[in-house]
Amino acid sequence: MFGLPLVFTVPFVLVALAGLPALYFLLRIVPPRPRPVPFPPLRLILDLRPKEETPVRTPWWILLLRLAIAALVIFAMAGPILNPLPAGEAGEGPLVIVLDDGWPAAPTWDDRVIAAAQRIEAAGRHGRLSAVVPTSDAGREIVAANASKALERLRAIKPVPYIPDRLSSFPAIEKFVASKPKAALVFVADSVERGNGRAFAEKLAGLGVPLTLVTDHRPVRILTAPRNEGSSLNVRISRSAARGAEQGQIEAFDLKGARMGEAAFDFGSTTEAKAQFDLPVELRNEIARLEIAGEHSTGAVTLLDERWKRRRVDIVSGETADLSLPLLSPNYYLVRALSPYADVHEINQGAADPISAALDDHPAVIILADVGTVSGAAHEKLTRFVEDGGLLLRFAGTHLASASDDLVPVQLRRGGRTLGGSLSWETPKTLAPFERQSPFFGLKTPDEVKISRQVLAEPESGLPDKTWAQLSDGTPLVTAEQRGKGMIVLFHVTADTTWSNLPLSGLFVDMLRKIIALSTQTAKDQTDKAGKAATAANAPAGDKTVLASPRRTLDGFGVLGAPPATAKSIPTTFDGIGDSEHPPGFYGPPDALLAVNALAPDDVIEAADYTGLRIQTEALHTTEPVDLRPWLITLAFVLFLADAVTSLWLAGGLRRPGRHAVATMLVLAFCGFGGMALWSPVHAQPAQAITEPLAPNARESVLETRLAYVLTGDSHVDEISQEGLLSLSRVLAARTSLTPGDPIGLNLAQDELAFYPLLYWPIVPGHGQPTPAVLAKVAAYMKQGGTIIFDTRDAQTARPGGPPTPEGRWLKQMLEGLDVPELEPVPADHVVTKTFYLLDGFIGRYANGQTWIEALPPAPADGSARPARSGDGVSPIIITSNDLAAGWASDRGGESLYSLVPGGMRQHELALRGGVNLVMYTLTGNYKADQVHVRDLLERLVH
Amino acid sequence: MAEVRLLDPAERRIGHGEQQAAIDLALRMPALVVAAREVASSLMHGMHGRRRAGLGETFWQFRPFVSGESTGQIDWRRSARDEHIYVREREWEAAHSVWIWIDRSVSMAFTSTLAMQSKLERAIVLGFAAADLLVRGGERVGALGLTPPLATRTIVERFAEAILIADRARPAPEELPLAAPLAPRTRAVLLSDFLSDPDDIARTVNAMSARGARGHLVMISDPVEDTFPFRGHTEFMDVDSSATLRVGQAESFSEDYIRRLAAHRGAVAEAARKRGWTFALHRTDRPASEALLALRTRLESGAETGRAN
Repeated sequence: MFGLPLVFTVPFVLVALAGLPALYFLLRIVPPRPRPVPFPPLRLILDLRPKEETPVRTPWWILLLRLAIAALVIFAMAGPILNPLPAGEAGEGPLVIVLDDGWPAAPTWDDRVIAAAQRIEAAGRHGRLSAVVPTSDAGREIVAANASKALERLRAIKPVPYIPDRLSSFPAIEKFVASKPKAALVFVADSVERGNGRAFAEKLAGLGVPLTLVTDHRPVRILTAPRNEGSSLNVRISRSAARGAEQGQIEAFDLKGARMGEAAFDFGSTTEAKAQFDLPVELRNEIARLEIAGEHSTGAVTLLDERWKRRRVDIVSGETADLSLPLLSPNYYLVRALSPYADVHEINQGAADPISAALDDHPAVIILADVGTVSGAAHEKLTRFVEDGGLLLRFAGTHLASASDDLVPVQLRRGGRTLGGSLSWETPKTLAPFERQSPFFGLKTPDEVKISRQVLAEPESGLPDKTWAQLSDGTPLVTAEQRGKGMIVLFHVTADTTWSNLPLSGLFVDMLRKIIALSTQTAKDQTDKAGKAATAANAPAGDKTVLASPRRTLDGFGVLGAPPATAKSIPTTFDGIGDSEHPPGFYGPPDALLAVNALAPDDVIEAADYTGLRIQTEALHTTEPVDLRPWLITLAFVLFLADAVTSLWLAGGLRRPGRHAVATMLVLAFCGFGGMALWSPVHAQPAQAITEPLAPNARESVLETRLAYVLTGDSHVDEISQEGLLSLSRVLAARTSLTPGDPIGLNLAQDELAFYPLLYWPIVPGHGQPTPAVLAKVAAYMKQGGTIIFDTRDAQTARPGGPPTPEGRWLKQMLEGLDVPELEPVPADHVVTKTFYLLDGFIGRYANGQTWIEALPPAPADGSARPARSGDGVSPIIITSNDLAAGWASDRGGESLYSLVPGGMRQHELALRGGVNLVMYTLTGNYKADQVHVRDLLERLVH
Repeated sequence: MAEVRLLDPAERRIGHGEQQAAIDLALRMPALVVAAREVASSLMHGMHGRRRAGLGETFWQFRPFVSGESTGQIDWRRSARDEHIYVREREWEAAHSVWIWIDRSVSMAFTSTLAMQSKLERAIVLGFAAADLLVRGGERVGALGLTPPLATRTIVERFAEAILIADRARPAPEELPLAAPLAPRTRAVLLSDFLSDPDDIARTVNAMSARGARGHLVMISDPVEDTFPFRGHTEFMDVDSSATLRVGQAESFSEDYIRRLAAHRGAVAEAARKRGWTFALHRTDRPASEALLALRTRLESGAETGRAN
């Protein structure tokens, strides 16, 4: 209405606006009450009739004021709503909501769900059935259900970490529409063309049923092509359209989720930008995950594995240095090919022992270009280097052809062979396609690569397994052999162009890159070998693909988590992008992870273009509808007060009794606003914030003691906390004199902590550290006598003396910002073990974790054996790893909700007893430490 | 526009302020000696030497005894000096009685921003000042209906006391004095706004002067009542009755009102003139001394007029 997103719920009331002119005349005729004037000589003129009966007109501004009040009231009664919800389509058939659930929809997922839910609810109000069809769910038959079922289904849908092909879900829709010709379609589309956006929309439009397209114009931002280059890690950011925020941040994390750094980018009104991490190479090599800050989608996350790490590569050449002829030196080609991917160092030829010099650099890879034999100390060192996991890459040449040592993968024949030479009738050979087990599998073999000379391997039984590349006639060109933890790879040609033109081709670069990437994957290869042995049994012979099983995969929001059940293993040579069966994420064993990303390095994301389609298009609503009624009524009320004041003033009533009148009016105004606030509680938030800073639940908390836990943001953990504390509250009410209220989850950033004696804080490391403001609040809470139970819940995964778990590290990092007293494992005589039950320890879901508490002052030296000791107050902090809440949680019947380790009813009972003791400890403090002396005291009293 | 209002009942009480103002005002006046022309026929005693023989204490003359007179009047000490028998005559001394009446009705409690005082205050100040002045001049002054004629120096306090007692007993005072004849040759000073019906006023004046008493009407008027400065939509309220008059444009009444007011005043003045009383108009935006001076002049000249009659 009027170009504003404004509708009226009861528009016919607006007809009353037509009555305003009548009101205008009425108001004009009835002027305000005149001011009364006492006038003693009145009787002189009492009999006079006025000559001019027309009264004075009401002043125009009062007229305007009153008309405005009337108009405001009329508008308010018409129920104006700003940013209205889409009206429920008044159709008859079922409503089909087609929901794009690829990762481009993830950043605005909540809005999409709300938009869909609003339509489902609107349909439900009209008595229509609804069906929700995510585009990733192609095979399933569509069943329309009532609104609550459809909403349930809608809430269960989460964005998938790939872009599904929308067309594959079309047949099901078509079938459904064919059976329900009165159906209406709503397509909640993301803004990306990939996945046949327009074609799908066209097909939907062609179904002949009403179609509404709900889309947003927010550009999708993606992060691709990370390149670990010489001095920095560069990454490309692109977006689907040159709109939205121009600047942003890229954040880098290592494998454990610790933050490594951040880099800014600026689109500058283009669709591409670059970000650069200037970090030392060691730190850059640690980066495992890059993501655009605030852009929660799979496409905004790039995972990095070993392939992106920069290796130190040392090159030792057997040729004499001839700097005047660089193109004849193998080093030239090697440095050129490797420097984009590795830190290449050439060992000065003048060194006395170049190989030892190279080994002193601790490189990942040593390249020996045409070094014939290595002997003596250098040989021993080199052997140790390889067996310790180094990669030795050798290139053939005249030296190697003449004499070789044992540091080659295969036995070599003396002398090479020459193809296409003047004394040979054979033509230069080309490369054969790479076999599946070769790390080069997937690389294309260009025809123009010709091998004219090579060294030959002695035919032996294991030769095919060692061969990574071979010529078209089957002679090995690249061979490799596992040696200890390391590997030796041999190119049977030179690294310069004298024997072949391979060094001139792009294939050479790719091959070297693959080899370098292998340099620290040797351990993985070993495990792969074991895996291969296992898979060889059930895999058909000949399929020698090494598979990597999914370890941690990204969800649609770009969060790493456990892989879904549908995720399948990928071959270790996998080089594509994630799809429904292979979600993006890390694959393979933990020490040799293989990263699969949602996007290829050069992917460009294209905005979907739905223009020109003859369908109704609606923007995705991100604004809540605002009911303007309270505001209009308030305004009318204020104007009414103003009118009352002016009327009083005009009638002369504001002189002496004015003070009372004004005070009355102020009281009236106050009551009016108060009533207004009560009338619309939803919009009264700001007013409440002023007059009443306490949240309603805080008021309840003041009135009754209740247990509290920290909302971590992980709904599963929060649910466990709620269940656990609820069970504990029930037990407390049943067994002790304390009857706590329902437990409450607290948002540390917003809620007041002062009302809760005990705060249960399960640690979830995935989320960021609390802000300094929150830390200050927590510190103040602990200082004021509150007790926090930190539960790292990692007793199962933590190893004594082992590396700290992510939870432990997270907690440690957080506690560094707090003033934490000295801690000790709960001693056997600590009062907390005796406050209600006599306990040995505090167990939860796990029984083996240690519980830490503020260290007590040392026991008195006089040796008087006191049964319990306590400090001066209550420990502000208790740290456990036993997952107490899961141990407490039980259903109404007292059955534990979660499987306990080691298990049993007894453990559940002991967990609850520990919980009762903790609560009693926080509530009663060291009281029990005195109570244990009651017997002695009584005895003293008797005597 | 002038703001007008009525005094609260509390404000209408006579306070120390009015008494003091009245005394101050009277002190500024030269001693007022009311001409005593009709001494002989006055029954009242006073301190004035009437320059003729009569009842008095001051020696006037000796005259020869006329046979037939009471022998008790013979001054034997004088007669002993020669053969004639003398009668000692004393100068006849008599005091004027002046009755002062102050209108204390609701309409007198009217004031406006144009005036210096409310009409009531002005009337009280004037009345008290006149009383003080007359007493110092040797007259006896009484508050009509409240006190007998008095010649005390604390006349102002006595008046104030009497008025306070009367107001307490009867909160709604009359607009006009009791229409009863006054003793002959007394004087009356009526201080009021005289907004009652002219016929009532004439009846009262006639009744009071029935036995020959003379009087002065001082009409006290607020400037607002004279000028009628009202404009616009106004609701006039009568102060004595519940009558109201709502007019759309008050300015249109101005002309009529002023004409009627003039007629009313003419009627009141005529009623006074008919009985040989005087009529004076005093506006509360003028100083009270002006009115007092005029009143004194009239009290004196009133005697002349009386003699002319």
